[in-house]
Amino acid sequence: MDPYVVAIWIVRIAFLGGLYLFMFGVARLLLRDLRAAARDPGGALARLVVVWSDVSEPPRGTVFGLDAVATIGRDVNNSIVVEDDFASAEHAALAFRGRAWYVEDLGSTNGTFVNGLRTDGLSAITYGDELQVGRVRFRFERSRR
Amino acid sequence: MTASAGTRTRPAVAAIRPRARRRESGLLIIVALVLLLGSVSLGATQRELAGQKVTWLPADAGQLVVYLTALFGAHLALVLAGRRSDQVLLPTIGLLAGISLLLMERLPQSLVTQSLAGRTFGLASIQLGWLLLALAVITIVALAVRSDAWLRRYKYTWAAAGISLLLLTFLFGNEVNGALLTIQIGPLSGQPTELIKVILVIFLAGYLSEFRPLLVEASMRLGPLQLPPLPYLLPMLAMWAMALGIVVIQRDLGAALLFFAVFLALVYIATARASYVVVGLILFAAGSVVAYQLFGTVRDRVDIWINPFADASGKGYQVVQSLYAFARGGIIGTGLGAGLPLVGGRLPIPAIHTDFPFAALGEELGLIGVVAILGLYLIVIERGLRVAASAADDFRSLLAAGLTLVVGVQAFIIAAGNLKLIPLTGVTLPFISYGGSSLLANGVVIGLLLALSDRGVEPPPPAPAGRRRFAFLRGSRQEAG
Repeated sequence: MDPYVVAIWIVRIAFLGGLYLFMFGVARLLLRDLRAAARDPGGALARLVVVWSDVSEPPRGTVFGLDAVATIGRDVNNSIVVEDDFASAEHAALAFRGRAWYVEDLGSTNGTFVNGLRTDGLSAITYGDELQVGRVRFRFERSRR
Repeated sequence: MTASAGTRTRPAVAAIRPRARRRESGLLIIVALVLLLGSVSLGATQRELAGQKVTWLPADAGQLVVYLTALFGAHLALVLAGRRSDQVLLPTIGLLAGISLLLMERLPQSLVTQSLAGRTFGLASIQLGWLLLALAVITIVALAVRSDAWLRRYKYTWAAAGISLLLLTFLFGNEVNGALLTIQIGPLSGQPTELIKVILVIFLAGYLSEFRPLLVEASMRLGPLQLPPLPYLLPMLAMWAMALGIVVIQRDLGAALLFFAVFLALVYIATARASYVVVGLILFAAGSVVAYQLFGTVRDRVDIWINPFADASGKGYQVVQSLYAFARGGIIGTGLGAGLPLVGGRLPIPAIHTDFPFAALGEELGLIGVVAILGLYLIVIERGLRVAASAADDFRSLLAAGLTLVVGVQAFIIAAGNLKLIPLTGVTLPFISYGGSSLLANGVVIGLLLALSDRGVEPPPPAPAGRRRFAFLRGSRQEAG
């Protein structure tokens, strides 16, 4: 057999193999990312970012990871504690039900605001909405992963 | 009940500091080696076929060096700007575009010629020019877009721009193969649909993210289907009418299919309600039947799809030749440069560089190569959907998903058309087909995905007070809950 022909076929097959080598490289990166994600326990569904705060706790820039149910208020038993005299002890609750997130005002004195509007009872919210409890404004965001 | 307080957000504007992108560098080195191998294989084959002495020099070393330099230049720009964006997209696109360059070097250069300043450029040189421009577009968009406010704020302006581009095509479009596809402005001609698809995704992302709560919550029963109230169904009908208009007036089946498929997918992503998809598919089926009855172009395409051999030397010619090409390729292909013998001095598939590059690759790289190409598109889709999944809010998420799907669905439509899996519709194979508008528009798509995936991108703006109109809905949830 002509050695040139053999050599050309070796190059051709090496080119095809190279395409798969590239894909293998990408797959390895993907696997590494997945392993890193599995090790990271922070499996929050969504997050609340404090975009504006007039009180010491929580300060601006704080990020809260949210589970399916989270409560906001002045009482220390809440998942998000707002140290503000304008916030009620049990002020509001956030819940993920079915397909959407809801915020519920728990009968607070000064109200819970969604995008600047006072909400009574339960209302649906989406990522990017702003919530205000007392003198703290949160932005509701998708979790980072 | 975890409320893990503590991590502070970084300041929005940080000093620009170069940051190594090791994964991207590693993958780009593989890309360079693979393209070098491909070029050596092509060069040796071409010299052997031309009866010259076989040497192991690349086919066109100059073009390869220019292209790889540009690719690493784009990488360097991202490194110097210190971006923490996705590191897999650029190498994957670089590999696809490099394969495109090899394919164009391999096809007869007289397929497309352009004279500029007294010199005549052939197919590969022109494609190289467009590839460099596309890489520049990717880099510039990836670096310049630091905030998506200008995209989300003017969604109706974008919609208006898209519709006027479409109307311009209807009015002033030039006919290509029986379809109104291109607009000529001076010496430049372009395919507006390539740009319209990007604009469409921007508009849909804005529209769906704003009306998502309504589309998810509100419903009206119609038989077994739960539908949203009529006002919110109208955009779906409008979209359907637009797709049908493209079919009727432009005879551009590929664009209509692409737009409608991406629209349905985005609606499903935004609402997670199958009823919308069912309604959309019913509308699609109805529109297809009507179009089949009324328009000869549509009927031809479907008849060719069902049996291309009925008129194998006439209407079915290209599809039949495409099937032969895949068959000749077999499992490992004939090798780059060794396929596609000319038939009577002509190419068996006239539109090989625009509509049938997948068939050409199928012949020369075989099943193994074609599966690898599809795998590269899957990587693009995976990375794009990952960007969508980790986006901070609905708009960004829908935008990233839509941009990804536009590329993925388009690749599927034309690859499946080449393989006679679905009726052939003339769209380009992203990053592989010859053509400036396609490369530049897809460059914008990848640039935006890179920009959105950057971890330092500006956080979404607060919701506008304009959401007030939903107040009635929010209040009424009390009884429903």
